[in-house]
Amino acid sequence: MEGKGVTLWFTGLSGAGKTTLARLVETELRRRGHKVEVLDGDVVRTNLSKGLGFSKEDRDTNIRRIGFVCNLLTRNEVIAIAAAISPYREVRDEVRRDIGAFVEVYVRCPIDVLAERDVKGLYKKALAGEIKHFTGIDDPYEAPLAPEVIVETDRETPDESAARIIAKLEELQYIAATSAVDAYSDEDDAEVRRRLEALGYV
Amino acid sequence: MGIFDRFKAKESQQRAVLIGLDGTPCTLVQQFTKDGTMPNMAKLCAEGALLQMDTSIPDISSVAWTSFMTGANPGRHGIYGFLDVQPNSYKIYFPNSRHIKSETLWAVANRAGKRTIVINVPSTYPAQPLDGMLVAGFVAVDINKATYPASLVPRLQAMDYRIDVDARKVQQSHDALMDDVLVTLDRRVKLLLELYDKEPWDLFVGVVTETDRLQHFFMDAAPDAAHKYHSAFRDFYRRVDAFIGQVAERLKDETLLIMSDHGFTPIKQQVYLNRWLVEHGYLKLKENARSIEEIADGSRAFAMDPGRVYINVKGKYPQGTVAPGDAASLVAEIKQGLAEISDNGAPIVKRVYERDELFSGPVVHLAPDLCVQSHYGYDLKGAVNKTQLMDREVFTGMHTQDDSTLFINSQAAALRSDKPHITDVAPTLLAALGLEVPATMDGRSMFR
Repeated sequence: MEGKGVTLWFTGLSGAGKTTLARLVETELRRRGHKVEVLDGDVVRTNLSKGLGFSKEDRDTNIRRIGFVCNLLTRNEVIAIAAAISPYREVRDEVRRDIGAFVEVYVRCPIDVLAERDVKGLYKKALAGEIKHFTGIDDPYEAPLAPEVIVETDRETPDESAARIIAKLEELQYIAATSAVDAYSDEDDAEVRRRLEALGYV
Repeated sequence: MGIFDRFKAKESQQRAVLIGLDGTPCTLVQQFTKDGTMPNMAKLCAEGALLQMDTSIPDISSVAWTSFMTGANPGRHGIYGFLDVQPNSYKIYFPNSRHIKSETLWAVANRAGKRTIVINVPSTYPAQPLDGMLVAGFVAVDINKATYPASLVPRLQAMDYRIDVDARKVQQSHDALMDDVLVTLDRRVKLLLELYDKEPWDLFVGVVTETDRLQHFFMDAAPDAAHKYHSAFRDFYRRVDAFIGQVAERLKDETLLIMSDHGFTPIKQQVYLNRWLVEHGYLKLKENARSIEEIADGSRAFAMDPGRVYINVKGKYPQGTVAPGDAASLVAEIKQGLAEISDNGAPIVKRVYERDELFSGPVVHLAPDLCVQSHYGYDLKGAVNKTQLMDREVFTGMHTQDDSTLFINSQAAALRSDKPHITDVAPTLLAALGLEVPATMDGRSMFR
């Protein structure tokens, strides 16, 4: 399916669900026939940004590199999905300006829930001082001021969050709305007609 | 909504419940609360306010429930009937949830962090994502497309949930239809109470449609004690009342609203406006036409269910014949003619509204030019295959516009004293949740 390119940018604390949601949205977009590429922060740091650390300068460089690739993909009609903590607002907004077709998804989850969940065991280490520059513990996280979507992963299931993101992409007309009107088949129409006839409306 | 309103909303733990009884007339509730048929409702009414409410014009479920869920008039929300014609054509389509142009009550509630459960509200098919759950009502076809989130579908299937009564059962027998009404009500109530009890929510919206289905086919049984189905009709409402009792006993400090989207009254005659237009030379149809899609050249107007009349304007419709400048005088002429229709001397038409008397907003251009409101007993229809102006079919009940039900579990003194309108319900629920009413809603909260 021919589509518009767009960058879908997931930002949020470690463990909030960025990768999980990126993969769910990716699956649904592929199912609908879109070209999709995911740039996952954890993966990018093993190749594109190998050697970069967690100083503000290095973090910003990492985000600019991901943004650069997303921009290339977006202008070639690919849906680029970035899933990176991207804690600094200024560089996120810079990437947004460069790309234009940019949808920011704030993956929000209270830090106490994340520390409790601690799927990667990182919060425990960060709280014990074994990891330095850990976002939300001893490094800042600047929440987006006007993200296109906010998902609350402590209150919604991943499927619900993913559906809301897809709905936003439909609403902004980056992708076609297939879940409803288009999926409303001729057979549906025929059945609707029969049901309306049974009540005397047709 | 400002940032401080958001904080305020998050702080408030107020919850609200809306129970819809499709088509239940206020006058019937008044009667049944007095004569002991609905004791639970009577108990609620003793401590709250039972009000007669006006609904939308046209007074059919798709328009009325959309007006409820958006708090807006059709000029804003865009739903004028169960069927409509596509722009610049006579091709019929069936509007669905994707055609609704205004924000819903639950979208507003969701924005303030209020989780909402919406079960069986008509015109919500296909289900749109929301923070909460939604099972669409009439005219939902496929349970998968009717349900959000998808994970709810297996639960519905395990409970043998039914989307709707199969009204075609009446062709077998009235007994078969009545059985279907009762079973469907039973399954509906089970689902409503299960989700009420087991799911987290701030706003719960649950609709019973079986009331409407019963009344389409058994309305003549209500006033007639000798009617074969008179006691069955009452027994049905006893079951509805038992459900209301089950909701009432669960209430803590929630605001409870009970509403219907229109009233009902027995039919004397079905009246076919397209036949009247043909007889008076305004409409020409191809031979054996079964739909307005088969309109013939030279037509100046056509009608759609229930009382919508459209002027066949040049440039607006492919075979338009009326110059835009002549439309106003034709509107006046047809309006005058319609007002004179009678049934053996009894007037049929109560009032004919022009478009701008009823509708305003961004999609007012999709509105009918005239909306005919009939006197009780004369059911206006859009059928084109009729050879006479009036007849009777299997239906015994028709909708009414001025006798919808609105109950609020609040002292009457805390409420406005003017007659409520269906667009007031969403603002009232938002107020009960402690939320601001957005400017896109036409209605106002009933709370003073």
